[in-house]
Amino acid sequence: MAAGPDHLFNLRNNFYLGAYQTAINNSEIPNLSPEDAVERDCLVFRSYIALGSYQLVISEIDDAAATSLQAVKLLAMYLSSPANKESTISSLKEWLADSTIGNNAILRLIAGIIFMHEEDYNEALKHTHAGGTMDLHALNVQIFIKMNRSDYAEKQLRVMQQYDEDHTLTQLASAWFNLAVGGSKIQEAYLIFQDFSEKYPMTCLILNGKAVSCMQMGNFDEAETLLLEALNKDAKDPETLANLVVCSLHVGKSSSRYLSQLKLSHPGHVLVKRVSSAEDNFERAVQSIA
Amino acid sequence: MLTKFETKSNRVKGLTFHPKRPWILASLHSGVIQLWDYRMGTLIDRFDEHEGPVRGVHFHSSQPLFVSGGDDYTIKVWNYKTHRCLFTLLGHLDYIRTVQFHHENPWIVSASDDQTIRIWNWQSRTCISVLTGHNHYVMCASFHPKDDLVVSASLDQTVRVWDIGSLRQKSVSPADDLLRLSQMNADLFGGVDAIVKYVLEGHDRGVNWASFHPTLPLIVSGADDRQIKLWRMNETKAWEVDTLRGHMNNVSSVMFHAKQDIIVSNSEDKSIRVWDATKRTGLQTFRREHDRFWILAVHPEMNLLAAGHDSGMIVFKLERERPAFALSGNSLYYAKDRFLRYYEFSTQRDSQVIPIRRPGTASLNQSPRTLSYSPTENAVLICSDLDGGSYELYIIPKDSIGRSDFVQEAKRGTGGSAVFIARNRFAVLEKSTNQVLVKNLKNEVVKKGTLPIPTDAIFYAGTGNLLCRSEDKVVIFDLQQRLVLGDLQTPFVRYVVWSNDMESVALLSKHNIIIASKKLVHQCTLHETIRVKSGAWDDNGVFIYTTLNHIKYCLPNGDSGIIRTLEVPIYITKVTANIIFCLDRDGKNRIITIDATEYIFKLSLMRKKYDHVMSMIRNSQLCGQAMIAYLQQKGFPEVALHFVEDERIRFNLALESGNISVAVASATQINDKDLWYRLGVEALRQGNSGIVEFAYQQTKNFERLSFLYLITGNLDKLSKLMKIAEVKNNVMGQFHNALYLGDVKERVKILENAGHLPLAYITASVHGLDDISERLATELGDNVPSLPEGKTPSLLMPPSPVMCGGDWPLLRVMKGIFEGGLESAARGGAVDEEEDVGGDWGEELDMVDMDGMENRDIEALLNEAEREEEEENDDGLGWGGLDDLELPPELDTPKVSANARSSVFVTPTLGMPVSHIWSQKSSLAAEQAAAGSFDTAMRLLHRQLGIKNFAPLKSKFLDLFSGSHSYLRAFSSSPVVPLAIERGWSESSSPNVRGPPALVFDFSQLEEKLKTGYKATTSGKFNEALRVFLSILHTIPLVVVESRREVDEVKELITIVKEYVLGLQMELKRREMKDDPVRQQELAAYFTHCNLQTPHLRLALLSAMGVCYKAKNIATASNFAKRLLETNPSLESQAKMARQVVQAAERNMTDETKLNYDFRNPFVICGSTYVPIYRGQKDVSCPYCTARFVPSQEGNICTVCDLAVIGADASGLLCSPSQVR
Repeated sequence: MAAGPDHLFNLRNNFYLGAYQTAINNSEIPNLSPEDAVERDCLVFRSYIALGSYQLVISEIDDAAATSLQAVKLLAMYLSSPANKESTISSLKEWLADSTIGNNAILRLIAGIIFMHEEDYNEALKHTHAGGTMDLHALNVQIFIKMNRSDYAEKQLRVMQQYDEDHTLTQLASAWFNLAVGGSKIQEAYLIFQDFSEKYPMTCLILNGKAVSCMQMGNFDEAETLLLEALNKDAKDPETLANLVVCSLHVGKSSSRYLSQLKLSHPGHVLVKRVSSAEDNFERAVQSIA
Repeated sequence: MLTKFETKSNRVKGLTFHPKRPWILASLHSGVIQLWDYRMGTLIDRFDEHEGPVRGVHFHSSQPLFVSGGDDYTIKVWNYKTHRCLFTLLGHLDYIRTVQFHHENPWIVSASDDQTIRIWNWQSRTCISVLTGHNHYVMCASFHPKDDLVVSASLDQTVRVWDIGSLRQKSVSPADDLLRLSQMNADLFGGVDAIVKYVLEGHDRGVNWASFHPTLPLIVSGADDRQIKLWRMNETKAWEVDTLRGHMNNVSSVMFHAKQDIIVSNSEDKSIRVWDATKRTGLQTFRREHDRFWILAVHPEMNLLAAGHDSGMIVFKLERERPAFALSGNSLYYAKDRFLRYYEFSTQRDSQVIPIRRPGTASLNQSPRTLSYSPTENAVLICSDLDGGSYELYIIPKDSIGRSDFVQEAKRGTGGSAVFIARNRFAVLEKSTNQVLVKNLKNEVVKKGTLPIPTDAIFYAGTGNLLCRSEDKVVIFDLQQRLVLGDLQTPFVRYVVWSNDMESVALLSKHNIIIASKKLVHQCTLHETIRVKSGAWDDNGVFIYTTLNHIKYCLPNGDSGIIRTLEVPIYITKVTANIIFCLDRDGKNRIITIDATEYIFKLSLMRKKYDHVMSMIRNSQLCGQAMIAYLQQKGFPEVALHFVEDERIRFNLALESGNISVAVASATQINDKDLWYRLGVEALRQGNSGIVEFAYQQTKNFERLSFLYLITGNLDKLSKLMKIAEVKNNVMGQFHNALYLGDVKERVKILENAGHLPLAYITASVHGLDDISERLATELGDNVPSLPEGKTPSLLMPPSPVMCGGDWPLLRVMKGIFEGGLESAARGGAVDEEEDVGGDWGEELDMVDMDGMENRDIEALLNEAEREEEEENDDGLGWGGLDDLELPPELDTPKVSANARSSVFVTPTLGMPVSHIWSQKSSLAAEQAAAGSFDTAMRLLHRQLGIKNFAPLKSKFLDLFSGSHSYLRAFSSSPVVPLAIERGWSESSSPNVRGPPALVFDFSQLEEKLKTGYKATTSGKFNEALRVFLSILHTIPLVVVESRREVDEVKELITIVKEYVLGLQMELKRREMKDDPVRQQELAAYFTHCNLQTPHLRLALLSAMGVCYKAKNIATASNFAKRLLETNPSLESQAKMARQVVQAAERNMTDETKLNYDFRNPFVICGSTYVPIYRGQKDVSCPYCTARFVPSQEGNICTVCDLAVIGADASGLLCSPSQVR
């Protein structure tokens, strides 16, 4: 454990917990070392990306900026124009192949995120499996969860826990893992989110985390309350809307409003995609049965 | 040893505790007896009448007396209230070593160097017995606490036990003369009323002290052979039990502890030793540098000891008495004896939770010192001073409350203090390195960190934060950020109490309370002369705390006050409203109800909640000088005004708050000159000239009055005043007024009358009153004064007043909040009531509405339904939009070839998604649909229920599928993680084992829907009702229930709903056929044969009756009417109509038209053609909803449920895992 105070602690925490605007607003931290300053900028720009301000990030980061920031810019470009994603991916691959910068942790992280979007977990893990930062390990946990390989996810989590069990990302990753394996572990996930909500200001991410834990435990009424609280904070948060759709269905209320809202604001959301594919699926099934 | 109090003085030879008050008497070698209050630490009194050392002193147990004996051979009995020596008992012939009162008889026992022990009656002031037998100095003698025994110790190396039973008999029953005579003889010829019972020999040197055990037949003695001996006795003999060796010099004094099973001794070797009375081993030794110990005293009630030495005395405790406790929500965990106990505040239930390790007897003070509790993990951390500071971690098993006696193996560790800092983390202080170790519940170190200041204790300070204490400072340290969040210079902090919202903290030190914010920003400091013991925050942010003898409060602004006094110290655990929960020193939970009015009042005042203040003023009796002074001091004289009766105080307060009218009223009552004057001043300040005038008038202060009239321009009154002055012969006043009025003639007249002729002349001549001046000139004769030359005189005329009469514009007096408060409070109440009424009205209206529905006659019912129908059609249009959605290509199919290899790392193969597990495991259609395997689901439904038309089920399928996953945003900007929601979760479900999918439909929802359907039917909204019933019918195939009983209920529901669907379809059909009255009647008739709820049946019958009656099918109508009457209609209108129809039919029992309807012959109705299928005729049925059809319909889609193929083969509904097993 390093002796000096950790200046970026709050910024990182805000970012991980989804308080992106707060992270941006409180990013002016005096007396940062150059490395810390780059990390700070990465976090700030990643916060902007999380808020959907891709163009701002693309225009703000010029070509002279550090590799990490270039990587962040790449992510912004990837997310902003799905049409041009081929070129983005090819330049990403080019950079990754470059031995001087290919090992940059942020670049690898961004690579992991982009290939995850591409559902190319193999390629994603190629760059992230080695770990090195908490972010990378946390991303690994998520990739393995996505692959339904909770055994691998658990191993990654152990690594994180050994490094710093109380780190916000470790706690978050344990919550993801607990939710993914289900059963009695869900309670622990709920408690982790509960801890966050006691310790830090409420964010949509924390509220959604709590709500998802509640839903997994079959407690849809509490989940609904939490989600409505989250909706109050941010009426456009896609996960809040998606979870509200699910939750409303379970409590026997109409979900169509939330679904249309989600379709309008986030046509690419997983729920929207799932629903539309399910409609197709239905028609096909009707054909096959007839 | 916990030293409570220490004195410096001459050598202390005798000590005695007062049984009730916190007092101790110390008799000194110098001859002085000191009376100390050891709680306050003050010398109360000194008694100085003995000559030479005073070796023995003792308080009486109930009267204000004490006895002392010294080297002047005298025993003195004192009254400490009157500070007098009452009398002196003479008789001993040498130094007196000890004196003691008997606990009930008026006796004193004394031991002396004259080798005797004497027993005195202090009421008759005589010696009643002399106990002889010792053949050296008697060092100590004392009564047995219950029996008629005396124990004595002597330098003759023996301890003797004396029986004084006969002495008691003599004093109690002196009735028998004969007996008395013999006793007198006995008295004369030497004491037979006290005989030696046992002589205890064993010490090889002189014995200095011997004392009885308070309850057991035991004696302990200490001698110059440096040994302590324990003796036991029974009725006939006494014997030595054991010897305690350890003292290095003569043992001065030894006794049993009043409450614990220990022996305490002190000695000239400068040490006090504590011994285990059962194991007879030394427990602890306390040494002093230079002072030999001479005497020891135990408090008869409390856990206190005192020891006298060469240069003073100490009052001390052996063990801490504060029970360790921790608060958690509405409950308290605390340690008592060898158990952890649990107390619930709301129910006051107290139960034993788990046994904790018995504190080792190897030394004292090892009982739990602090306790920390983590509610979510149900874990308790107990810290004690064992091994120089250590902790034990216990996990409370969920089910064992109050049962097991088995001590679980606790996780242990050493550390200065340990405290939970998060749900499953605790911090342990490592003093040697000034580090804090963060550990998890397995007692493994998770993290280590260096603390920012040299710390000797840590406390909780919010999740992840620690409050670190050093000698003179506390800081709050964030363990994750490694940042100091706040620091504060404080005296040595002993306890830390956080407010319920964690916004404020109270730091308790020995004599101070410091209130600070959560960042340790100082808010206020209180100083207490008495030790601060405990505290808790109440719900309003008031800190309630206890000292040794008071319960007090501290407001956020630092104001404090006493709530009540305490007999014994208590430790507050929680405060709710006016109830204080506390633990006493015996570890019992107690509840104290306090009068919170005073501090709540002050708090409201401080927070400016004036409405609350007003209501308290009106409703409670809080008063007293202190409160008034407080209000005045805090700048609320107007509030104080409400309390005061005394006029003078009222006047003062009124003046202070500028309330002139009250002041006037009070001033009138008192009628004191000074008050009038002050009233005048205040009124003048405010500009209220009327009151000023009144005040001046009352005090007859004419000069001020006239000046007032001058400046207010009230010339009439001014001239009146002039006249008054004239009457009163006040020349000066008269002149002044004339001057103010500008009345020159009057002035001249006054001057003339006063004999100032020259002045009068000059005045007259200057003002040009020539006739008068001439007259005066003649009167003056030669003495006419000359006017100064060369100066132009100007006349002194008063200016004319700017405004006349009335008040000036008044100063605005701060007022309103309180006067206004009363009014507005009253108004507020009224409005509330009105609002309440409004709510009720609304509800009433609703009810009227519903009743109205049922009461409608047939026509209205029809109209209503038709209107509904139209609306329904409108709605229908809105739904078209959904179909136009562009569907993106399918994305959900898993990618192939995920197992391509990279050089270093082998990517694991994809795991199986939960939905696949679901679809593999399940044979229920609903679960398959939730898993997204729509085709499997459809095949199942087709097989089970013959369903072929899936279009109506589409939305249900989609809902099931959408509801099967929740969405977790994990890593920022990365894809969302869908999580499968499982059904039937419980705390004990094991992870990684997949339960069935959670389904969005359940049976209870359907029952709700059924009720909605009924309601819609009742109110005649047939289209809506039909929609609801159909949706039930369309949901049932996708419902999953748990038990077989529920399966039956589901099947029953299908039948119920089917009947309604069929009936409603017919009814709607009937309404379309306006031009076919016969068919209309038939359909109405069939409707009455659907299996409906009685109210609906009545409505159907009513409708059928109406239709038939109108079509002149009177006989049929009367049949319906009879059936209606059979249902005992609750509505008189229905019954009446039915009776009328029956009567009409009696007159004319005919039918106009022939209907395909024979109510005598049982039938079912074809669901598609709506014709009766009478018993015996052939029919086919729907495999799902069981609706019947004429045979020609076979192979079509069922028109009732719109799902299944009529007459298809089906295995039956499968809707529960219990059917599959």
